[in-house]
Amino acid sequence: MVELGEADEAELQHLVGAERQKAQFTAQLHPFLELCWDKCVEKPGNRLDSRTENCLSSCVDRFIDTTLAITSRFAQIVQKGGQ
Amino acid sequence: MAELGEADEAEFQRLVAAEQQKAQFTAQVHHFMELCWDKCVEKPGNRLDSRTENCLSSCVDRFIDTTLAITSRFAQIVQKGGQ
Repeated sequence: MVELGEADEAELQHLVGAERQKAQFTAQLHPFLELCWDKCVEKPGNRLDSRTENCLSSCVDRFIDTTLAITSRFAQIVQKGGQ
Repeated sequence: MAELGEADEAEFQRLVAAEQQKAQFTAQVHHFMELCWDKCVEKPGNRLDSRTENCLSSCVDRFIDTTLAITSRFAQIVQKGGQ
């Protein structure tokens, strides 16, 4: 493999880091898409009406709240179990 | 492994990229199929009636809209969280 100079090496690391972030973001998005599509879209119509848009926006927020609540409760249980 | 000349290397990269695109397209189609079958096809009948066909067509469009809405909301949250 070709040897990279310091500046090119740094640039490469930066690009790899950026791609990794993009991949993480996309991967995190996937569960939201599936779950919120299920909850909010009954029958696909001609466009997303405002009720559906609000539902999708709330869905993201509530799913994050749910994750926090469940994580918190589960952590409690695990800690108690450890004693 | 045999050493490829520059022209062959470029051609090879192009072929790999084309195959990756085809694979991505197929995976995306498969994903749409599952989601839109669930939403639009109640009980399979003798043929796809026009209501079902419209639903399937709208389904692809609305799922893309949904992806944009959720990506946008999620990006907002990530940005706020980063500050």
